[in-house]
Amino acid sequence: MFLKRHVPLFIVVIIGLLTLFGNFIDNDEVKNFVDNDATQWFDIIASFAIFLGSLNMLKLQILKIIRKHKNWQYSILAVLGFAVAIFAGFFYRGANYIVVSNVNEINLLPIAELLTDELHLENQNTVISNISDAKDGYEIPKIFMTQSGAEAFMEKLDKFDVNMEIKSKKWGIHLQAKGSLFSWIFFNIFTPLSSTMFALLAFFVASASYRAFRIRNFEATLLLVSGIILMLGRVPIGELIPWWVVAILIVFGVGAISAPWIKDKKIFFGLVVGGIVLFLSVGFSMGWNQSPPQILLIPVIQDWIFDYPTTAGSRALMIGIALGIVATSFRIIVGIERSFLGE
Amino acid sequence: MKKNFKIISLSILILIQLIIYQYLIRVESSILGWEITNLYFVIIITFSLTLKALLKTISKQYPKHILGVYFIIAFIVIVLIYRTIGIYVTSIFIEGTTFKFSVVALVSMTLYYYIQKAKSGEKIYLRPIAGLKAIEEAVGRATEMGKSVLFVPGISDLDQVETVSGLILLGHVAETTAKYEAGLNVPVSKSIVMEAARETCRESYLRAGRPDLYYDDMVHYITDDQFAYAAGVNGIMVREKPAACFYLGKFYAESLLLAETGNSIGAIQIAGTGSPSQIPFFVTACDYTLIGEEFFTASAYLSKKPELLGSIKGQDIVKGLVMAAMIFTLILNGFFQAGWVGFDIVTLFEN
Repeated sequence: MFLKRHVPLFIVVIIGLLTLFGNFIDNDEVKNFVDNDATQWFDIIASFAIFLGSLNMLKLQILKIIRKHKNWQYSILAVLGFAVAIFAGFFYRGANYIVVSNVNEINLLPIAELLTDELHLENQNTVISNISDAKDGYEIPKIFMTQSGAEAFMEKLDKFDVNMEIKSKKWGIHLQAKGSLFSWIFFNIFTPLSSTMFALLAFFVASASYRAFRIRNFEATLLLVSGIILMLGRVPIGELIPWWVVAILIVFGVGAISAPWIKDKKIFFGLVVGGIVLFLSVGFSMGWNQSPPQILLIPVIQDWIFDYPTTAGSRALMIGIALGIVATSFRIIVGIERSFLGE
Repeated sequence: MKKNFKIISLSILILIQLIIYQYLIRVESSILGWEITNLYFVIIITFSLTLKALLKTISKQYPKHILGVYFIIAFIVIVLIYRTIGIYVTSIFIEGTTFKFSVVALVSMTLYYYIQKAKSGEKIYLRPIAGLKAIEEAVGRATEMGKSVLFVPGISDLDQVETVSGLILLGHVAETTAKYEAGLNVPVSKSIVMEAARETCRESYLRAGRPDLYYDDMVHYITDDQFAYAAGVNGIMVREKPAACFYLGKFYAESLLLAETGNSIGAIQIAGTGSPSQIPFFVTACDYTLIGEEFFTASAYLSKKPELLGSIKGQDIVKGLVMAAMIFTLILNGFFQAGWVGFDIVTLFEN
């Protein structure tokens, strides 16, 4: 009980208070602890914890294959992916490059020409000056995933009397060096898959919007109207919509709201048509064609919706969330909230 | 309203007095031939009398809250003393953080005060929160259908309060699944969260008297990467078709991917998050959504422990104070812009 409950609670309270006061108290040691040490400790613990996670994932997938659970075939892919990533990260670097040294003045230009052509470099003179300036040999700006690829490229330089050596990027650096097996996997398999998942959002947003915009009640109608105005106001076509279209839409909107109170359809129809005629005649007589009032421009209405009602709503939400976070943090720091420790 | 009329009138009177005194001290050095310095006595007497009348009215109408009002007044006095004297002595605070610290202290004091009140036996009413009530209904539905329950605690680590709140709710969901003997599946994206979630589930199953139903692998790690995690969880949903899905934690762009997939398999969905930008997606795609602070009150709501309920009440009082401060700031800033007062209250919030 002492180790499982009291010690973690003690650590939570002490570190919580220290972190809180570190934001206000003018003390370099406390500030350094909050800004650097504490975050580094967290990173170190999280780095070690990743072993627990990955081993758990591997164990579950292997068990699924061995026990032939439903859809066990997918687990083969998961285990293979894991194994290949480990192989590329820890056992096979790739990231080979060629270092050329001892280049004569006579060979300088043809080598620069060849490299510019083969590697699609832009400036031949830069290559020449780089080769002449390199004291410990010139590193050809191309990284080869395999040694045989590097050797094949070296064969093209064999006709020149130069020293060539194949080297590899250091362990660790190879993870980010373009041309290593790991980076190849990252850019050619992982990134497209991630982008695909992200792209799915577009379709999901469409289906979610459809559901949200279905007219069921007053709020949903308001959402639909605001959504349409926002969408129109943010595209160039919104600026081309003339004032009289907006005026007619406003009359329709007012009509829709007042419809439940006007039972006689003829009177209602007359009021709407009369409203439109009145609105348009006032507009044309006041010269709104040349300078329409701001309230009848879609981009202006869109800006107003975005700047005032939306901001007000989202800020109210944020204040509530911030207070919730403060209250939860307070409960954790003073040790009242212990549910996350399993109590 | 009638009950509060006297309190509101006296509060407005105090506000007007403060503004007039401030104006007199800063702008008019004398009034009807009297030097303003000679009027300090009158100012203090009239202000004290009005304040006394206000406190008396509050203590008569709200005897339970008078201690809280004294707390707030004491706090304001301390802040004023600090601001007056503090400029002559070396501050222990980082420059510009005094106001923030004062606010943190006020909020903490208010929370502590209401926690103590709740502990002393005062009954606290919490309005029904549909999303929390529906947890049992969702787990019951899963049991009836013979399917599992999926709980997603978000993609952030344990350093986020939302994740901690998610784990607190996981404890309750796990206890309910243990009681109903329904399957529980908790895919996580952070190893530390995995360990904490396992501990929470183990304790919940033990509390429900069904430790035999618990196994470690009900909480399992998928990956740290956002979209790979979303793909993994979506895969679980499509293959296993859980009857109930809970999304309680911190979410980013994957929220809609998860909620829409859950919607497509016909699961009953309950979501809650502290990310304001993701709430609309959850509201659209889920059956119940814990909006804003509702998500953080879950622990108190479900446990019904007085000390936790007290903090919820304190949180609401702080919200009331924030509203009052906003109105007060608006009025004072308006007066400043009109040139009636010399102090710009907005400067307080600049640091």
